[in-house]
Amino acid sequence: MTIVTPLVGPGPNAGPTRRGLLAAASATTALALLPRRASAAAPLGPVAEAEAVIAFGHIGPISDGGWTATHHHGMLAAKRAFPKAKFLEVESIPVSADATRTFRQFVENGANLVFVTSEYGDLLSSVADDAADVGFLECNGHRTSDNQGWYYIQHWRVSYIIGVAAARMSKSGKLGFVGSFPVPAVYSCANAFLLGARSIRPDATAQVILINSWFDPQAASQAANALIQNGIDMIYTNLDDASCLQVAAKAGIKCATWNTDMRASGPEAYVTSLLLDWDRFYVAQIAARLSGSWSGGGRTILPVGGGVDRDAWGASVPAETAALADAVRRRILGGWNPIQGEIKDADGKVRVAKGAAMDEMACYGWNWPVEGVSGLRSA
Amino acid sequence: MTLLSGLLGNALLSGGVLALAGMGELLAERVGVLNLGVEGLMALGAVSAVITVASTHDAGLGVAASLAVGAIAGGVFAIATVLARASQVLCGMALTMGGLGLAATIGRPFAGQPSAATFRPMPIPLLDQMPVLGDALFRQSLPVYLAYLVLPLALHLLLFRTRHGLTLRAIGENPAACDAVGIRVLPLRFAYVVLGAALSASAGAYLTLGFVPSWSDGVTAGRGWIAVSLVIFAGYRPWRIVAGALLFGLVNALGYLAQARNWGVPSAFLSMLPYLVTLLFMIVPALLSRGRPGATAPAALGLPYYRDQR
Repeated sequence: MTIVTPLVGPGPNAGPTRRGLLAAASATTALALLPRRASAAAPLGPVAEAEAVIAFGHIGPISDGGWTATHHHGMLAAKRAFPKAKFLEVESIPVSADATRTFRQFVENGANLVFVTSEYGDLLSSVADDAADVGFLECNGHRTSDNQGWYYIQHWRVSYIIGVAAARMSKSGKLGFVGSFPVPAVYSCANAFLLGARSIRPDATAQVILINSWFDPQAASQAANALIQNGIDMIYTNLDDASCLQVAAKAGIKCATWNTDMRASGPEAYVTSLLLDWDRFYVAQIAARLSGSWSGGGRTILPVGGGVDRDAWGASVPAETAALADAVRRRILGGWNPIQGEIKDADGKVRVAKGAAMDEMACYGWNWPVEGVSGLRSA
Repeated sequence: MTLLSGLLGNALLSGGVLALAGMGELLAERVGVLNLGVEGLMALGAVSAVITVASTHDAGLGVAASLAVGAIAGGVFAIATVLARASQVLCGMALTMGGLGLAATIGRPFAGQPSAATFRPMPIPLLDQMPVLGDALFRQSLPVYLAYLVLPLALHLLLFRTRHGLTLRAIGENPAACDAVGIRVLPLRFAYVVLGAALSASAGAYLTLGFVPSWSDGVTAGRGWIAVSLVIFAGYRPWRIVAGALLFGLVNALGYLAQARNWGVPSAFLSMLPYLVTLLFMIVPALLSRGRPGATAPAALGLPYYRDQR
């Protein structure tokens, strides 16, 4: 597996702004390396830009202001980079046989490269296996083949940075996390968040509530309320909407979110957000597909600063706290892996020995809660 | 104590959506029209409220807009089902799908942004000083009081204490008999379907101006369907609808509390809990009241009325 190295280093006191990342995206036409399996599959043949068809299949609506909106943003960047290519985009594809039908439709419409922005598993691979000359990339996927790869972001390291800030923003040390399902994306996010917090404040704890949906503002606000009534004064959420932030603002506590800059929904409560930026990855993958150098088997985890980062700190974050967290961010940008042993799980068993570190594939498949994270063990 | 108060407050707030939507559905069903379009009406109400407050910054106007849009959509539904006598089930489904789609389309520029105006808490003097209950019950916003006290009282008096209410209930039971005694069946059905649709749409405004103050596609998250079943669950009575909504909200809030307090129950089970409890509350009274006529649906519910076939 390759981790694409960040193309923009940490500039002098440069907060990662969307504009900055966009500028970088347009300046770079292709990433230096393409992720490739060891037993590299033969590249798919080149395609002229004017004849190329690029398809995007989304799990949610592009107007969600969260996950799908960031992927849509990436598609728009690709559209600007390849103005002559034809782009197809389908929103809100349910995880059912409808998905297979939609992906098959992409193939029938002559798609050369298909991006699927959530994991569809067999629903996607059954189509991919029948269309050997079409490239498929599945976000948060797990399967690779001669014409299929997956991609994801190193969000646990950003969650660690947010955890560092959270330890300072919370008075009680009781942190909360509102997540969706008991899946690795949620485990790694909540775990790294608490590990970051414990690096500053060893007695910090994180209480997790799962709402069994990625998008249900009513459930999310009830979950946030329940956490606040239990004395939690700092909430982190990886859901698609801003309702936790709105509840936090109303209750006078702090909150960090995911996907996009959501500060407008609660400026005084906003700590930061984990920003996603797929622009450069999409542009690079399409460029490779057109030039005939794209092949299946890619396993890409976009690193901090190269697809995922923290948002500019909220107005209520003291400069000293921001500096503390940013020092950690700089170390991570320099290649330091913050997920270091000794790490115990919620049962007290040592899972990562002292001196050892959890590699990216281990974080990608994280399925146990670390000590101090409660609410995930029985989930 | 703050825990109990918080639980109750949350339950009240989340149940209000169901109470409003359910009472709207009740009006339509009492005159014999099954409106399965509640989910679509709520979405339309939610989006029109958000769009209105974005330019006016007045939550009251937002509710007015949702009522108006709900009445228009309800009017279209009533033309199809009451006047043209099309299938109520199919038209209701069409209203749900059309409403959701239309709301997503016109709401796109406003998606994900916080609502420009929201309802503020309106504490009731003296009562809000009560221990436990004061905080939970009497420091809510105006729509909560309307949903739990004013509207059910008004509907109860209308349906069960006035001659007009008797007429309405009779239309739901036996429109042909009503027609025979000179009651104008179709105009009354039309009017109450429109009124009910407006009320159901206002549940959407409650959602985006009071509960989760922002609009996004899918914000109604299937609560419209719960409201439809709540009406059946409550035996077509306003006070029971409100009680059922509160119960549903309470079990729901209890699920989150259980997670927050780490009671060790799997989250999937806790998400299931409100539906399980609802099922239980449906089965138990039915078993207990065997042989006696319980709260049954209006006899003419779902049937279009043809004068020449009476």
